[in-house]
Amino acid sequence: MSWTEPILHVDMDSFFVEVERLRDPELKGRPVAVGGKGPRGVIASASYEARRLGVHSAQPSATALRLCPELEIVAPEHGRYREMSLTVFEVFRSFTPLVEGLSLDEAFLDVRGLRLHFDSTIDVAREIRQQIRSHLGLPASVGVASNKLLAKLASQEAKPDGVHHVPRSDELGFLHRLPADALWGVGPATLAGLERLGVESVGDIGAIPAAALAKALGPTLGHHLHELANARDERPVEPDGEAKSISVEETYDSDLTGVDVIETAMLSHAQKLSWRLHRAGLAAKTVTLKARYDDFTTITRSQTLSGGIDGAHDLFKVATSLLTQLDLRRPVRLLGLGATSLHPSDRPRQLDLGHDRAWDSLEDAIAEVKERFGEGSVAPARLVGRDADRAPGRRSSKSS
Amino acid sequence: MRIRAQRDDLADVLTRANRAVGTRTALPVLQGLLCEVSGTTLRVTGTDLDVTVRTQLEVEVMDEGRAVIPGKYLSEAVRKMPPGQVTIGVTDTDIEIEGNGPRFTLRPLTVDDFPTLEDVVADGVEVDGEDLADAINQVTIAASGDGARPILTGVLFETSDDGLRMVATDSYRLAKRDLPGVGLEGSGLVPARGLRELPRTIGAPKVSAQLREREAVFTSDRGSLRLRLIDGNFPKYQSLLPESYPNQVILDREELLEALGRVTLVAEDHIPVKLKLIEGGVEVAVSRQDVGAETEHLAGDYSGADDEVSIAFNPRYLQDGVSALSGDKVRIQVIDSYKPSVIDDGTDGDFLYLLMPVRV
Repeated sequence: MSWTEPILHVDMDSFFVEVERLRDPELKGRPVAVGGKGPRGVIASASYEARRLGVHSAQPSATALRLCPELEIVAPEHGRYREMSLTVFEVFRSFTPLVEGLSLDEAFLDVRGLRLHFDSTIDVAREIRQQIRSHLGLPASVGVASNKLLAKLASQEAKPDGVHHVPRSDELGFLHRLPADALWGVGPATLAGLERLGVESVGDIGAIPAAALAKALGPTLGHHLHELANARDERPVEPDGEAKSISVEETYDSDLTGVDVIETAMLSHAQKLSWRLHRAGLAAKTVTLKARYDDFTTITRSQTLSGGIDGAHDLFKVATSLLTQLDLRRPVRLLGLGATSLHPSDRPRQLDLGHDRAWDSLEDAIAEVKERFGEGSVAPARLVGRDADRAPGRRSSKSS
Repeated sequence: MRIRAQRDDLADVLTRANRAVGTRTALPVLQGLLCEVSGTTLRVTGTDLDVTVRTQLEVEVMDEGRAVIPGKYLSEAVRKMPPGQVTIGVTDTDIEIEGNGPRFTLRPLTVDDFPTLEDVVADGVEVDGEDLADAINQVTIAASGDGARPILTGVLFETSDDGLRMVATDSYRLAKRDLPGVGLEGSGLVPARGLRELPRTIGAPKVSAQLREREAVFTSDRGSLRLRLIDGNFPKYQSLLPESYPNQVILDREELLEALGRVTLVAEDHIPVKLKLIEGGVEVAVSRQDVGAETEHLAGDYSGADDEVSIAFNPRYLQDGVSALSGDKVRIQVIDSYKPSVIDDGTDGDFLYLLMPVRV
């Protein structure tokens, strides 16, 4: 398979609805929408069961209920969607740093860097879908193409819950049969103008000479549409700025119980997180602990320090102090440790009173060994035999 | 209830009690001040459940009774009245505040919702109010404001035969102050936030203090301050105090403070100030890539095992410690650039400030 289509557009299917379904499994398999329930309420997201009956986003809730009287409308909880979105993007970034978010539930990914790890970009798309499905329980559709325009159109084609690949050889074939307003920049007014030229499909736009299009729509829009209609889109995937956080989390096959077990798991996280910070040359001023109990309630606790840290020993110390704010008698199904407020690690660092310089030297030595022999080459005694990557109880792990 | 008193006296007791009223409170009724009138006394209580201030005033009583009145509005309204007598009275539905023309009516809060607070038993130990206020100012600078680590937001009160010791740390610096001869009993972790209110709420030449099982109670002739103790174990600070320091420099305190004032002009944002202790004093230097630099030499007495020793500090933390001292001199004792330094007045006196360096 070729690597000539390295751009992915990942679009979560009915994102808000699916997040609500995770919270309340009763909503599965039924027509459901997230939106306002009042007389002026509007649908924000509709399940595919509801869409089949004509319900769609931006529709007044009253209309939706007329079309589909058994429709269950759930009030939106944007905090929940934002939180889930962060996790989804963490999955994206575990594949490539080249992630450009468009909204909470869609992003472009440039995955050309994964050439050595996957046979094709379609396999990358499948793996991303698989990970989002198995870690988060959410469906996503992915478009795979040579540029952003085609990838985005392809993901619409892939919906629901699929992958659509537009090969280099069939770009125009795919594009030209789409309706004209599938292109960016074609709103109702432009569409009306195009219809006067007898345009219905993208192919019709492609057939109009560039000069004629420029005359009809103005030079800027004319040129823009001419390029798009010929499947030309040079815009690169622009990542959303520098890494704002680095985190490690893991969902366990069997719930963790007891302070000892949870602390050991946290030590493993601290090791991994420290290594990632070290590789990125960053230190963190804020450390965040995340835990999900067996009933799916999720708690995050964070601590901001006066100086940045990147050593596993320091991260573990903060993590254990944050653990004291948790109810460790309850079984825990997920544990995460994250670093934010990142800055270059060579900046001056405020030491704390418990600071033991011996740890610094030790961690420098460990980092050196890991650089040469790999991340798994050294581990604290407490983790030996547990080997993070083969431990029983492990279900999935990811990082970003 | 209905009472009358001088505006300034009323404003004083209300404003002081209102210092305990939080802006964000768990219960709406805690936005209010409990005003209780009996005999010839108005007693005012404000609380956020952790900090409770009670003040009282002899007033002209027309009707006894009690009411809970929104604290911010009540204290501000009384303050904004014209000078002279002010009357506060309860009607069927409202609170009326009037005097020399203006009249406020305020909606009361439900009296029965206000938490019941047992009366203070006045059997504390008498402390010199000024000493106590000084000690509070000295130690609370090192307490943490980070609610995520509640233990570090407290000041440890430890008592022994020698007297009272107060210790606070935010894990980067530690302040320790002894009050010899103060025969308090017990120990506890007293919230620094509440302690800082002591001079402003009930500060007086004589303050009585006591540590009870769950609270620290301070009383004076101006009222009472009760602080709920923080649960948990304070770090074992003794082991953090090094036994000896091979290097030390003694400087003029005012000169160092002025120098630090110049340093902080350049050193915003946690840019460390570098000190090089050498024969004849200290080289002070700060530099910041995007702004510039400042350097100077401060004359002082250096004695040490090393010819010179360099160390860097957060300038604000250093400034806090030096400001908290009272004498003319400041002594900085240094082990090396990774271990805590001690800042004191050079006399092994009642106050010391331990500060961790910044690694550069």
